[in-house]
Amino acid sequence: MKRPLAILIVFATLAIVAASSLAGDFKIEVEEFKLDNGMTFLVVQRPMAPVFAGYIGVQVGSAYEKIGNIGSAHLLEHMMFKGSQNVGTTNYVAERALMVQEDSVWQLIDSASQELPYLTVNNPELVAAANAHIEALRKTLDSLSGESSQYVVQNEFDGIYTANGSAQFNASTGYDYTDYYVSLPANRLELWFNLESDRLLKPAFREFFPERDVVSEERRLSVENNSDSKLFEQFIGTAFIAHPYQLFWEWQSEVHALTRADMEHFFKTYYVPSRMVAAVVGDVQLEEVKQLAEKYFGRLPKGTRPEPIYAREPEQRGERRVEVIYEASPAVFVGYHKTAFDHPDEPAFHVLQSILADGRTSRLYQTLVLEDELCLDISADVFPGGTLGDMHAGLFCIYAYPKEGVTTSQVEEGIYRVLDKVATELVTAEELAKVKKRLKADYIWSAYSNMGLAGRLAMAHTLARDWRYGLTLSDRMETVTAEQIRDVASRYLIKSNRTVATLVPKEEEVTQ
Amino acid sequence: MRTAINLVLALSLVLGTSAFAEIPDPREMTFAEQQFTPPATERFVLDNGMVVHFLPATEPPVITVEVLFHAGTLYEPKKTVGVFELMATAMRTAGAGERGPTQMDSDLEALAASISSSAGDEQVSFSMRSLAEDFGQCLGLLRDILLEPAFDSAVLARETSNKRDWILRQNDNPGSVTRRVYYQTVYADHPYANYATLESIDRIDRDLVLERHRRFIRPDNCILAVAGAISLEDLQTHLDQAFGEWQADGSPLPKMQEWTGFGSEPGVYYAEKDINQANFRFGHLCLDHKHPDRHAFEVMNFALGGSGFTSRLTKQVRTTAGLAYSVGSWHYNRAHAGTFFGYCQTRADQFGKALNMMLDIVAEVHGKGITQEELDLAHSSLTASYVFNYTTPARIVNAKAQLEFSGFPEDQLERDLEGLKAVTLEDCRRVAREHLDPDKVIIVVTGKRDMFDSQLEDLGKVTVVDMEIK
Repeated sequence: MKRPLAILIVFATLAIVAASSLAGDFKIEVEEFKLDNGMTFLVVQRPMAPVFAGYIGVQVGSAYEKIGNIGSAHLLEHMMFKGSQNVGTTNYVAERALMVQEDSVWQLIDSASQELPYLTVNNPELVAAANAHIEALRKTLDSLSGESSQYVVQNEFDGIYTANGSAQFNASTGYDYTDYYVSLPANRLELWFNLESDRLLKPAFREFFPERDVVSEERRLSVENNSDSKLFEQFIGTAFIAHPYQLFWEWQSEVHALTRADMEHFFKTYYVPSRMVAAVVGDVQLEEVKQLAEKYFGRLPKGTRPEPIYAREPEQRGERRVEVIYEASPAVFVGYHKTAFDHPDEPAFHVLQSILADGRTSRLYQTLVLEDELCLDISADVFPGGTLGDMHAGLFCIYAYPKEGVTTSQVEEGIYRVLDKVATELVTAEELAKVKKRLKADYIWSAYSNMGLAGRLAMAHTLARDWRYGLTLSDRMETVTAEQIRDVASRYLIKSNRTVATLVPKEEEVTQ
Repeated sequence: MRTAINLVLALSLVLGTSAFAEIPDPREMTFAEQQFTPPATERFVLDNGMVVHFLPATEPPVITVEVLFHAGTLYEPKKTVGVFELMATAMRTAGAGERGPTQMDSDLEALAASISSSAGDEQVSFSMRSLAEDFGQCLGLLRDILLEPAFDSAVLARETSNKRDWILRQNDNPGSVTRRVYYQTVYADHPYANYATLESIDRIDRDLVLERHRRFIRPDNCILAVAGAISLEDLQTHLDQAFGEWQADGSPLPKMQEWTGFGSEPGVYYAEKDINQANFRFGHLCLDHKHPDRHAFEVMNFALGGSGFTSRLTKQVRTTAGLAYSVGSWHYNRAHAGTFFGYCQTRADQFGKALNMMLDIVAEVHGKGITQEELDLAHSSLTASYVFNYTTPARIVNAKAQLEFSGFPEDQLERDLEGLKAVTLEDCRRVAREHLDPDKVIIVVTGKRDMFDSQLEDLGKVTVVDMEIK
């Protein structure tokens, strides 16, 4: 139940972006079929070990949240592990009745809490009584939870997978995707179909209030007390002003306003088969996968098409800067707005990014770490989509960690010198050849693990509505020229399109 | 749709199920143990003493190599800890053979290959990944890195300075503070407690690095693991070409000393950091990796806090109480002294509540062991998931090499499975009683004490950890 941190994931290996022609005789054979309700299945038969990876990608994430339900995508992903109306309970009807009571008590707590500021101003003598009332309601909520526990078979969904030898069982929430995945011994194929379709067909959002606290604790751990995330949150919040990519993580203040009804609404709106793709990779038979898919996922109702995201980030007209003061060492993040996956500039931008930041011989690492010794480390990626590209226009991000005694402005200047050079001079033939060789190798390595391949296929399909998008992208990159790279660099990597975030150590700030 | 239903019907008949497209209750679905035969790996020894484990695999057309050397912190006096990290890093980055530092990087990246190095407590290792078509060329680079590192002075100075800078960042994030302080405390006066410091790094010069390379990086002190798209004959030819002339100088192999009487007094070790959570671990020394009770302990800990969502710690602290995102317990069965610990991060004003809840759960298991239901779940899980030890060629052959490196018999994975299956409820009760000690734990907590819900003094004797970076 983790949420990927864009900055912590190193997209060092590219997804399947190499054309099969580049990869010699080696080819990844993907079978595809679609159910009547619109759900797509991708199958790769790899009999090497008697195991398989099952991966479900849903085209929804935090970018679909609006004021009032911020955090829904992430909390819902947690709630999907609570089982179903079948798994995780001994009596769903009785449990459901208690959930309804819990929810109405929560509504009372929420509305009483909303009144507190007015009482504080207008009738301060009533505040103590109101707080006591809220406290009593909280006790009622706790006792209702206690009562439900007699029907709850705690974490039974996980328990069934565990008993069957599952590995890599988890899920993640991104901006445009939410993924659910697990690896199992090959003879448990039908169990995967059964459990996954069961929680999608009849979900049950039991143990809701403690889980909300878990998500709140997850934010404390992963954002509030993590220097990289703390900086990154302000960084993209500054870079984006209109598009929902601006929100790195749900704010603490909003998590506690979420309700079970928010979960039900979000689920019903977005978890429809036409927005889901399942990838099954491993020691499986295509015919059996087809039959089981029809039997289990064929039960899901078709659903209706939800509203898309209409927001588009306006053109940036001038540099934006933000500082974060925190008890950690300096860091500087630099970002440039870029285009979405379908834009004609994407292939050239992709090659440019690889030349700038992939490997020790990349321009940025070579210059700032190895030659000028300004940085301890420097890396870059594309937010939020990574190597495959972004569903909507994203951000090209550079993450730099200065060496002791070097200021963040010296690091910035060093970065801009490197970027100015690619914007004014042509990259070399060796650099282009290196990127193409890397694409070939990455295509081949992408077939090394079942889960890695399943994830890449599902993601490419969700992004471009066709898993072959990876191959098309690579074909397009094949024809990218040095002139196109210079052109793209000169149009995007410019000051007016830039956002800079710096982490200022706490003690430094105090002495200034 | 009609066709699809017919297909399902046909399948039901084939599988011998009577009901028409009936959906079974997932709780009732039972499966035979997944049958599989672990692929047989080859083992051979080169004339110079290098041990090689090998597993051929046709697809994808890639080859991986791991080289493991007996070296690391356990072979190093405290005052110069960090020398093996510097040595391993600089072997890769400071030039080798005829290549200068930059040439090594660009030759590797031109092949889209990688060679990386790492240094741990009892192992220094090198990993290579290459396309099958470039294997010979890439192996040549690995050979140069191992046999003829140049340790270019300027690059070595840069790596030394970078290592210092990373040390200066060691208190940036609470998770790494808690981890480091826990090991420094639980293993005090044992080299497992030793971390490189500014002072130890300052004592390391190029001569010391060269001396460690000469003494430790030798053919009779390493094990190789190779997996991928190459035949045994071709591999042997390549290895002879690369390493045939590499000879040990005949001097005795470096030895580790024995350590006794290490560890710290139970109590609270407080690392102050201005954060809004308490990030904590509690635990004590425990079984090492060859202790006969280790299988029973693993099964017991699976139920206690090792298994994720089905464990007692996760169910009670996370699922029921909502106190933490990440909570559990772990048995780190290291070669020379293991440790058992519980871990959790929670809002600062819930620290005492979460810690006491966890200690109570450990005490309960210490007193009563685990239940039959928990034992059954652990058995079925550990048995069914065993196949995941054999999923990729690299994983299979690297495990074989690691086993020999650590002095286990070559069929240890299979023995472990039998060992786990044989664990009884009484075994679990006994190891919980003998090897868990909830009354004598070392508690390491990172955070801000005035935000905690408990007085640290109420939890034990308090030691304030010196956070100054020296």
